[in-house]
Amino acid sequence: MTARRHRSTFRYIGKRLIHAAFTILGIAVINFLLLQLAPGDAAEALAGEAGTADAEYMESLRRQFGLDRSLIEQLGAFLLRIVTLDFGWSFRHGMSNWDLIMDRLPATLLLMGASILLALIGGIVMGVIAARNVGRLPDRLISVGALLLYATPPFWIGLMMIVLFSVKLGWVPTGGMYDVIGGKTGFAHVLDVMWHLALPVLTQAFFYLAIYTRLVRAGMLEVLNLEYIRVARAKGISENRIAYRHALRNAVLPLLTVVGANIGTFLGGAVLTESIFSWPGIGRLMFDAMMQRDLNLLLSILVLSSIFVVIANLLVDLLYAVINPTVELK
Amino acid sequence: MAKDTLLSVEDLHLSVSHMPEARILRGVSFDVTRGKTLAIVGESGCGKSVTSLAVMGLLPEGLTKTAGHIRFDGTDLPVTDNEAMRKIRGDRIGMVFQEPMAALNPVYTIGNQVAEVILEHENISRAEARERVIALMREVGLPDPDHIVDEYPHRLSGGQRQRVVIAMALACNPDLLIADEPTTALDVTVQAQIMRLLKGAQAELGVAIVLITHNLGLVAQVADRVAVMYAGRKVEEAETRRLFSAPLHPYTRGLLAATPRPGRRQEGELPLSEIPGMVPSITEDLRGCRFAPRCPLASDICHRVIPEPRMIGATSVACHNTTETEAPA
Ligand SMILES: Nc1ncnc2c1ncn2[C@@H]1O[C@H](COP(=O)(O)OP(=O)(O)OP(=O)(O)O)[C@@H](O)[C@H]1O
Ligand SMILES: [Mg+2]
Repeated sequence: MTARRHRSTFRYIGKRLIHAAFTILGIAVINFLLLQLAPGDAAEALAGEAGTADAEYMESLRRQFGLDRSLIEQLGAFLLRIVTLDFGWSFRHGMSNWDLIMDRLPATLLLMGASILLALIGGIVMGVIAARNVGRLPDRLISVGALLLYATPPFWIGLMMIVLFSVKLGWVPTGGMYDVIGGKTGFAHVLDVMWHLALPVLTQAFFYLAIYTRLVRAGMLEVLNLEYIRVARAKGISENRIAYRHALRNAVLPLLTVVGANIGTFLGGAVLTESIFSWPGIGRLMFDAMMQRDLNLLLSILVLSSIFVVIANLLVDLLYAVINPTVELK
Repeated sequence: MAKDTLLSVEDLHLSVSHMPEARILRGVSFDVTRGKTLAIVGESGCGKSVTSLAVMGLLPEGLTKTAGHIRFDGTDLPVTDNEAMRKIRGDRIGMVFQEPMAALNPVYTIGNQVAEVILEHENISRAEARERVIALMREVGLPDPDHIVDEYPHRLSGGQRQRVVIAMALACNPDLLIADEPTTALDVTVQAQIMRLLKGAQAELGVAIVLITHNLGLVAQVADRVAVMYAGRKVEEAETRRLFSAPLHPYTRGLLAATPRPGRRQEGELPLSEIPGMVPSITEDLRGCRFAPRCPLASDICHRVIPEPRMIGATSVACHNTTETEAPA
């Protein structure tokens, strides 16, 4: 029976990957066309910076970037490169787009992983406490707190934290990922990065924390009224064990789907957070690429992040099937 | 309290906490004898389930005991939850509920869920617990116990799930099993199997059973005694044969007359009938008998004085109009 289950799991993954390939191509085409609508191109941006609008210079730049060819030709060339995982060259940075992105990716992954994990732990603890004290003071405090966090724009929280913790109190640095001068290594380096990470992570985490707390609270309230919880009580199981073992695992199932969606939209929020804290991640890179009309780099980021999101969502769905045995992967 | 009395509920009163005039139980008393079956019958909302939950110490939040005692094997039980009660639940008192489809946690295997109750109350290893669980599954008639322990609930039928719940309730060899409509949600052939299983367990383990049900046919077959409840009170209690052959309270008679019986109607037997009128609500405070507004025999006193239970022959009945002469010898 388990062998059959394994085989069907592999078939499921295969199907999802084929699906994903088409999704990613679709995303690539749409992004490509959308960016064509944006005013200006790299040649104009470069020429503007060089302080010259000489037609001949721009013409040569365009030829160099392949911008003089027809739209269809450009799209075809772009898709061909994607299929062969060749993301081209960024003239702005003088580096291949792939190298640029891989260089920045760890910082964003670190920010994302840390903030979502923190929000998950906090949200589960808060949500469970609120649900078990429903209507009483702890629930009221947690619910109001979650609502406030949910309603406050993250970038504002970020700026306020810089003002308070960096400028006024001087506890943490205002930005960057590590001490540029210090040149720390080993454990000292890890600590240094965590130090710099604190505020950006909190900024991102607060928003998710609000969502997760509310979801866990609602899920727990629903599950705690179900028949199997009464049965567990009739078995003499302690209330703590009932909450954390019997109810929680069922209550977090809907949460998992939301986490998957949050991973998908993470980059959107990261653009702001990374800009505020000068965090050297993909979001920042994307913002710069946009300002500099480095459309090739921008497209590469969009395509790579869509690949990443698709894979992350597949993992979430697989994980969902692991913690919920009533789900059969098909 | 007689020596072989296991559970004794005395004058139990329950109210809604924030609305004391909403009185759900208004003085309910009954005894359960070791190894015997007491059936509790009565129409919907009369308080059967809250009575059983009070015994379990699982009274829903919002309900409070306003008077009375529950004594189990010589000790007083609280009606609300506490640590001591938790040790008794699942170990010495097991409970089976009405909805087997919803009674098992979907994310854990059934073996895991049955073992949980054993591990909670006994000091044994996981491996030993697993052996016990497999033996239990065999006893409750689940097919292929070695494999079914590792199955998840959604793969089992309703009848199989109820067997799992019964296995959980019996896992620690309890003295008392409370079954609140254990077969209502199951189809008829499965109902009979489940009842046979419960009676078999009783014969083997000597467990006393409180059976709550609407199925009078079932009561006639399996119960030793029957308590009839109406609107928060017990109106009649007798040995099963006696209750069916000589019901004394007008409500009991109405209940029996409203139950279809196989075979042809006997001479003088009335056709299937219903009891006219409505049950008074839990907040309605009648000065007299709560059945009086619907009672065909109600007289003046019935509307003025609450009838206390008294013994007529071997039947306990709470009615002003029943007299010794009506009781069979
Ligand atoms: N948590 C609660 N809060 C307020 N009232 C309640 C609560 N639980 C039960 N009641 C009321 O108590 C009364 C008795 O309910 P109970 O569930 O014991 O009835 P029952 O005899 O088991 O009925 P049924 O045969 O339908 O199962 C009902 O009037 C019900 O509305
Ligand atoms: Mg009930």
